Amino acid sequence: MKASEMGKEIKTMQMANAVLLPEVVRLLEEGHTVTLPLRGYSMRPFLEDGRDKALLSKPESINVGDAVLAEIAPKHFVLHRIVSIKGDHVTLRGDGNIGVEHCRLGNVKATAIGFYRKGREKLDSTDGLKWRVYSWLWLRLLPLRRYLLFAMHPHIPRRWKKKK
Amino acid sequence: MKTKKGFHLRNVCGEYVIVAEGIENIDFSKIINMNESAAFLWKKIDGSGDFTTDDLGAYLCEEYDVDEATAKADAAQLVQQWIDAEIIEE
Repeated sequence: MKASEMGKEIKTMQMANAVLLPEVVRLLEEGHTVTLPLRGYSMRPFLEDGRDKALLSKPESINVGDAVLAEIAPKHFVLHRIVSIKGDHVTLRGDGNIGVEHCRLGNVKATAIGFYRKGREKLDSTDGLKWRVYSWLWLRLLPLRRYLLFAMHPHIPRRWKKKK
Repeated sequence: MKTKKGFHLRNVCGEYVIVAEGIENIDFSKIINMNESAAFLWKKIDGSGDFTTDDLGAYLCEEYDVDEATAKADAAQLVQQWIDAEIIEE
């Protein structure tokens, strides 16, 4: 390696979730909070791929309605909302999803305490009015979710595309 | 110059990053990432008290196949970047 390559510049570093997220979990367990850039479309319409960030902390209490980072299979993490807790059994559904995932309480590794959206410095706290009103409304619109998501982000559903 | 207290070099996912221990929040959207040679220098100077740009140049010459003038210029550039990143102080 050339010494002249030492230059630091601001750039985007992509890391595999399976590598990055266990590290995030470790830092949370050490007592830090972690700000994590978000990828994926499964928390639409509130959160957008590549645009928004989540502020995570170690879960203190785990409740229905919380957006959490959960390990739904070994090294497979999702940041989705809890839709039900029955004993040790947790069911999750991304706000932008129709289907659900399942995990155990112990697999809930972090709670989102807020989100930084649209490049703003100001946190939209999950205790705040905006998130609570959005959550109340969006969860009640579940029967219409498929159509609302399509109206907001029109695309050709994969099942209609011709197979090659 | 010396390194500021509380900044520690860690290996996160195979990348060298500077993590501020005193800071409660670790922001993965703004991390200070170091390559192998920068990390080598950081390890050399961290906790060792005062250092100069020339010291860094000398360490580079010891470890890498580089002439003195280039090493000094690179060290000066790195020091400026570390000052800008606020991880070292006069």
